[in-house]
Amino acid sequence: MDFFIQLFSDPIGFWNSHTLLISQIGINGIVATSMFLVLYSGQLSLAAPGFMAIGAYTSVLMELYWHTPVVLNVAVAVILAGIVGLLVGLPVLRLRGVFLAIATIGFVEALRLGVILNVPITGEGLGLQHEADPLGGVPIILVSLVMVVFVVWRLTKGRLGSAWSAIRQDEIAALSQGIHVARYKMIAFILSALIASYAGALEAHLNFFVDPGDSQYGVTRAVQILTFAVLGGTGFVIGPVVGALIVTLLPYIFEGAGDYINIIAGIFLIAVIIFRPQGIVGRGGLAIVRPAWWPRSRARAPSPG
Amino acid sequence: MNHMRVATWLVAAFLVAACGSSGGGGGGTNSYSGKTIKLGAVLSITGAGGVYGPQSRDGAMLAVKQINASGGVNGAKIELTVEDDASDKAQSAQKAQTLIQSNQVMAVLGPTLSNSAVAVHPLAESLKTPILAVSTTGIHIVPDCKFPETAACKFVFRDSLGEQTAIPDNIKAYSDDAHPKTGVLLVAQDDKFSSDGGKIVQQTVATHNIQLLQTIPFSKNDADLAPYVTQAVRLKPDVIFITSLGGIPAKIMSAARNQGWQGQFLGGNGFNTATVSKQAGAAGKGARSASAWYIGNDFASNKDFVDAYKKEYGKDPDQFAAQGFTGVQILADAAKRANLTFSDLAGDREKLRGAMESVNIQTPLGPFQFTSDHDVKQTVWIIQMDGQGGFTLVKKIDAS
Amino acid sequence: MDQQILNAIFIGSIYALFAVGYTLVFGILDILNLAHSAVFMLGAALTYSLVVNHGQPFWIAALLGIAASALMGLVIEHVCLRPLRRRHAPPIAALISTIGLALVIVAAVEQGKSGSLFSWLWVDGANSVAFPAGTVPNPTWHIGDLTLEASKVLIIPISIALMLILGYVMRFTQVGRGLRAVAENPRAARLMGLDVDRMISLTLVISSALGGLAGILFGLALGDISPYIGRDNVEVRGLAVIVLGGMGSIPGAVIGGYLLGLIEILALVTFGSNARGGVAFAALFLMLVLRPQGLFGTRLRERI
Repeated sequence: MDFFIQLFSDPIGFWNSHTLLISQIGINGIVATSMFLVLYSGQLSLAAPGFMAIGAYTSVLMELYWHTPVVLNVAVAVILAGIVGLLVGLPVLRLRGVFLAIATIGFVEALRLGVILNVPITGEGLGLQHEADPLGGVPIILVSLVMVVFVVWRLTKGRLGSAWSAIRQDEIAALSQGIHVARYKMIAFILSALIASYAGALEAHLNFFVDPGDSQYGVTRAVQILTFAVLGGTGFVIGPVVGALIVTLLPYIFEGAGDYINIIAGIFLIAVIIFRPQGIVGRGGLAIVRPAWWPRSRARAPSPG
Repeated sequence: MNHMRVATWLVAAFLVAACGSSGGGGGGTNSYSGKTIKLGAVLSITGAGGVYGPQSRDGAMLAVKQINASGGVNGAKIELTVEDDASDKAQSAQKAQTLIQSNQVMAVLGPTLSNSAVAVHPLAESLKTPILAVSTTGIHIVPDCKFPETAACKFVFRDSLGEQTAIPDNIKAYSDDAHPKTGVLLVAQDDKFSSDGGKIVQQTVATHNIQLLQTIPFSKNDADLAPYVTQAVRLKPDVIFITSLGGIPAKIMSAARNQGWQGQFLGGNGFNTATVSKQAGAAGKGARSASAWYIGNDFASNKDFVDAYKKEYGKDPDQFAAQGFTGVQILADAAKRANLTFSDLAGDREKLRGAMESVNIQTPLGPFQFTSDHDVKQTVWIIQMDGQGGFTLVKKIDAS
Repeated sequence: MDQQILNAIFIGSIYALFAVGYTLVFGILDILNLAHSAVFMLGAALTYSLVVNHGQPFWIAALLGIAASALMGLVIEHVCLRPLRRRHAPPIAALISTIGLALVIVAAVEQGKSGSLFSWLWVDGANSVAFPAGTVPNPTWHIGDLTLEASKVLIIPISIALMLILGYVMRFTQVGRGLRAVAENPRAARLMGLDVDRMISLTLVISSALGGLAGILFGLALGDISPYIGRDNVEVRGLAVIVLGGMGSIPGAVIGGYLLGLIEILALVTFGSNARGGVAFAALFLMLVLRPQGLFGTRLRERI
């Protein structure tokens, strides 16, 4: 509880001494938004950590070897991630539901274990060390977060958003309405790759290191990001960001529980998905894909709670 | 004989000596009575480093308890806050920041793993807070904590014998005894400690005419090590170098013995706990490593430490406990001489840092001083596993 | 025969046994049970604890470990799956709720330290431990150049026997027919008088028992038990196996398991030990792209 006491009684002091934490929340919020995009368009893609890795490594490598300015590094990293997103998306987006999820996990782990760990220039198992400013990044990160959320929100209000919604609710119906499903899915996928890689690049500059561990760019991270989206809810753009905020703060909120933090997090996840699948923020819920035998009409009924 | 009394006499002797020397000039009486010296520690109590972290903590807490019980530091009490980083780099950095900026500690001990130090040490340096590593032994910890930048980090110190010294000493000792010709290196390449150790092995073997037949890297999370061991054993080397930590050394040793290999295991700091020796069991008998500390070492300050530790925790201390204990001793000694104001945190941290550089005390590690690079200057012990969960001493190498 | 091929077969057996549980649940329920790797770990951890902390002989401990894993299957059904079925949730929800349960199980074992809430289950926290030498008679035989450890060798007949038994049950017994009916069309099955809920419970129980057993064998033969053995070793590889073999196909899971073991060793020997980790995922990715139904799976029902 000390955490909150300081937050409210001495906000400036709190801000100054928790810059790393605030920055991490910001980054988690940005990558949660990238997750929002794919889920909103009905795709269970868990590829975000892979794109984060591309963003991080590319920008840091450019800085270490070519000494180019940060802005250029990040821009190049993001564009590269977009291209990889296109290449990966092409074969993979025609898979449905769980298969897409598995394929994207395959991509993430193949990238991490197969490429990063084996190519000497990436520092292999040890990752890379570089100059960083862990305490100065907060303004950039928070501004980025706001911009990303705003842009994605505008997109959901427009034609792209309607197409994505239609695809999410019923892909076949959308197809029969003349929506070019494959193209819209690809757009969502690439956009989410761009956002995720941006978050990754920012994160790399927050820390002094880039590290290919499982909790950074592997399945564990993918699960964590999914948790942000589920907990927060994918009905509104802001949902996953809220989820990210809560999950990142969990160890601090439950300071007394200390050790049992993960148990609580897991129970939370189960409880939310059963009793309030639309997440904390709300409406809609996860109507991604269902096998033929689950009654569709029921799914349109008002959600519980 | 009451060991607490001996300890009290030692501390009292220090105090008298310190008071005597700070005599006339600036600081006057240098009394801190009623004040609290806040220290922090970021250690791996859980996770992969959890094999080492708790001992560091226990050693450190014991030192705090002893010092506080015998009058504190010039009358000031030490308050040590220990945070667990779960062996995760990012958490390590966050906890360190909290300790430094929220808890406003004067100095920090840790982190446990070289992997995490990469993140935490540069942070402490930017925040101008002294940080004392008590178990990290990799390269580029001191003085170049921001490697590849070469600038020396002024606030980073360590009391844990580096692999740069330990591994070559170990290899030399064995080479002088047995003159091996060939070796194979098994290294967990996604772990800094292991990888650094591997590099050092590669750099050292040539000096002793040992041909490194192959380097076999693997991932630290991979539980199935049999294929890697098969690759190694197949080459029939005289020596197998193992630079990993946690449960890995024991598994490699068991697998290699099972596959019929009879040669010598040489390792790094990762061998130096009872847990590893026990896990390796008979397969590990004779496996050698260099240690910063040996339970039977004959320094008086060590005997007291070992007895006090056994009394407090009901089990033997290990190298990590000794280094944790020493860490607090170093900070306490520096605090005593630093003329702290307790009102100017930034100034106090700088003074503490300066005082640390001239530390020269008796510790369970023996006589301890820092080199000009803030690295360790001490005796090295070559030990080998006895096949039953313990170690025996092979050789003692004095500080040069 | 080469020692490395033996290594491949041993680890392949574990992969296969683990994947059978995975594929069973997917085949019958269309759900990916991501708590399976946690049950794998739990079986190993509990058995270890019974042997080392509670002094039980290994055989009893193992049986109890398997029983506990089977029980866990019931927990998965009642806590994660049934409430969602009642609410007509899409399968992704089940995916997420099993992820949640996996988190809880791993965290509970992680917190197993002396004095904690979970010390009856496990006291080694996040450490990695192994069964003490001599827990089971484990002679090592040397045939020519090859080293064969009894514990590793035994995995093969045990795994194969179990898979044959399972296959037999699925094909020739009433229970098996019931399970297949549920897999085919649960609503029709219910209309025909089958207790679908009970069939689903049974599926989870069998699957989890197999998973727990795989974990126990893993812990025994590979000498590694920690809260993370599921996540690090089989969770994602299991996915690769069922994709390779075909999701829902038991023979596919078996063959896929051995196939993956062989591919990994092949990569290790050809490209260096670094390549081992990434190969599974490269294979997974390629298979999904080229032939999503795997070697033995049925063609997917819907394709866009």
